[in-house]
Amino acid sequence: MLRYDSTSSSAGSSSGSLSSSSSSSKPPQQDIDGLLAGAGYKVRSSELRQVAQRLERLETAMGNSPADFSQLASDAILYNPSDLACWVDSLLTEFAEPPPTCSSDFIVDPVNNQTVVNSAWTAAEPHTPQVHQNITYDEQQSLDNQLTVVTAMEEDSGIRLVHMLMTCAECVQSGDLSLATSLIDDMQGLLTHVNTICGIGKVAGHFIDALSRRIFQGMGGGSVNGGSAFENEILYHHFYEACPYLKFAHFTANQAILEAFDGHDCVHVVDFNLMHGLQWPALIQALALRPGGPPLLRLTGIGPPPPDGRDSLREIGLRLAELARSVNVRFAFRGVAASRLEDVKPWMLQVNPKEAVAVNSIMQLHRLLGCEQTRNSPIDTVLSWIRGLNPKIMTVVEQEANHNQPGFLDRFTEALYYYSTMFDSLEACRIQPEKALAEIYIQREIGNVVSCEGSARVERHEPLAKWRRRLSGAGFRALRLGSNAFKQASMLLTLFSAEGYSVEENEGCLSLGWHSSPLIAASAWQAVPAWDNHMSSS
Amino acid sequence: MVQNHRREDHETGGENKEKRPKFFINDHVDILIEILERLDGRSLCIAASVCRLWCTIARNDSLWENLCFRHVSPPPSSVRSVVLALGGYKRLYTGCVRPVRSRLGRVRRASWARDEVQLSLSLFCVDYYERLGGSNSNGRLVEKSSPSSLMFLCKPVNV
Repeated sequence: MLRYDSTSSSAGSSSGSLSSSSSSSKPPQQDIDGLLAGAGYKVRSSELRQVAQRLERLETAMGNSPADFSQLASDAILYNPSDLACWVDSLLTEFAEPPPTCSSDFIVDPVNNQTVVNSAWTAAEPHTPQVHQNITYDEQQSLDNQLTVVTAMEEDSGIRLVHMLMTCAECVQSGDLSLATSLIDDMQGLLTHVNTICGIGKVAGHFIDALSRRIFQGMGGGSVNGGSAFENEILYHHFYEACPYLKFAHFTANQAILEAFDGHDCVHVVDFNLMHGLQWPALIQALALRPGGPPLLRLTGIGPPPPDGRDSLREIGLRLAELARSVNVRFAFRGVAASRLEDVKPWMLQVNPKEAVAVNSIMQLHRLLGCEQTRNSPIDTVLSWIRGLNPKIMTVVEQEANHNQPGFLDRFTEALYYYSTMFDSLEACRIQPEKALAEIYIQREIGNVVSCEGSARVERHEPLAKWRRRLSGAGFRALRLGSNAFKQASMLLTLFSAEGYSVEENEGCLSLGWHSSPLIAASAWQAVPAWDNHMSSS
Repeated sequence: MVQNHRREDHETGGENKEKRPKFFINDHVDILIEILERLDGRSLCIAASVCRLWCTIARNDSLWENLCFRHVSPPPSSVRSVVLALGGYKRLYTGCVRPVRSRLGRVRRASWARDEVQLSLSLFCVDYYERLGGSNSNGRLVEKSSPSSLMFLCKPVNV
């Protein structure tokens, strides 16, 4: 196994060698890049930058003069093609390509041309390079050129990190834990070359932690959400403040619920995860101002049982009641303490048959997707009793990601892409400490997705298409979220200082994303009335 | 203004004092209110530091109510009681409506004016709710006493 060495030739790196902690012997040609060696090419790591440049030039030359190229392809004999640097040079001399006037373009572009690196990782580009080096060039290049090389070297390290992460995940999947462990060491060394304040370095750091936790604790290793419910609430609150995902979820769900409650005088909302109840003030205010006057509002909030005997559910209920009293809305609150959603039984909710019921689930349904897909899995049980309540509307907001695949590598790849995008979107937030705590919240999710298995893994995100199939199969039909919800979501996003957020409408469902990668999707559902006939026949 | 008043006095002389009415805006509070009603938020705040009378008038919530609903058709009367319960129009304007309007100013369409106010109201309500939590004797519910749900509006737009 060839190891990556921190090269000190053209870039003049000042940080230490990576292989200080290695136990295996150094291979004789330690300068050869390991990944390309695996593909059959011998390129010195120190020359990677120049070879890439020249390949670019060769590509443009081939494009510019296809006639020469065809002659080259048929008549030329190339010796030692595995020595990629010489091969490219000899081809270039054939084309007699004049040296380009500005070579800095070639340096920055390869990042965008890489198929592995998606647009989410170009966030690594704008930040100022953290590695300060004395760069000695033979030619007097401009300072810009030098800086782009340094930035490119960092991007290079970032790309390497991603490659190594994928390789490590593959090793974990195939069970080669010793190789995985050595890769973890390498990656942690590589992290010193990369800016871990933002960009790919930060996300990679979290994934490296999660991978090492998975390797060293064995399967089913510890609950990553080991924090108390109180901690989780605080982190959730800061995640709410720092980025618009939860605000979008709340406002969109409230708009749908408001429209569904139109004309009803007794309404009952069941919230699957009350937390601090931040969703409900806006609904209470909207109900207070609706034409025709406010209805009687009952709210049933489900939450984890308090560890220290403090009745947090009741406190939130009291706060909401005080708000409702201030705006003259008749309000009643009921708290249901349950550590898991599948433990809740419908009789606990005390639904009155005459009232209009709305069920609100913000990122809760995916927790019910256990690993076994049996007939009476928790998700089926819960969905069937929701149907039994005959709700006017069920609002479902879920992460738009595929983190519930059985294969670990697929899951890991998806999670890497998803959370990189999410961290990118968080970069725009300047409010501290909200941003730092929001990152810890996301970090816990990453840890759960990557390092937990079995019943400990609760973050089993599934994309909207899968939820559509699942809910339609359980006797629900989709309600379209109207244009009001879309308008409100667009306005809400414009308020956030980052310009990368986008709302998309997808067959009646709204999704919020960063630079057209959807990250969270909101949908509304209603129980199909004549479903029981279908059920008895299946 | 006081200077002009005195100068007029000198110039016009004794017998003209009765014929030429002297106009001092503070004597005509209704006109003053009409004028202040048409100011924008920043000017209204500046006006509040002119003198005590102006300060008292500028603190009047109905002026800020005008500001909030200036470009919108008058809302139903129920809105007033709600807004007053949640902290008043001045707070609504300075905390929510103004930042929302300035942020949306670039992309605003004419039809958004009413929705802007509604969105501002919702955000205002969340803010009130968080303030409730801070004043709660059991301070463990929210970490800091100052509500933070509107902080994303307070930061300058990072374009």
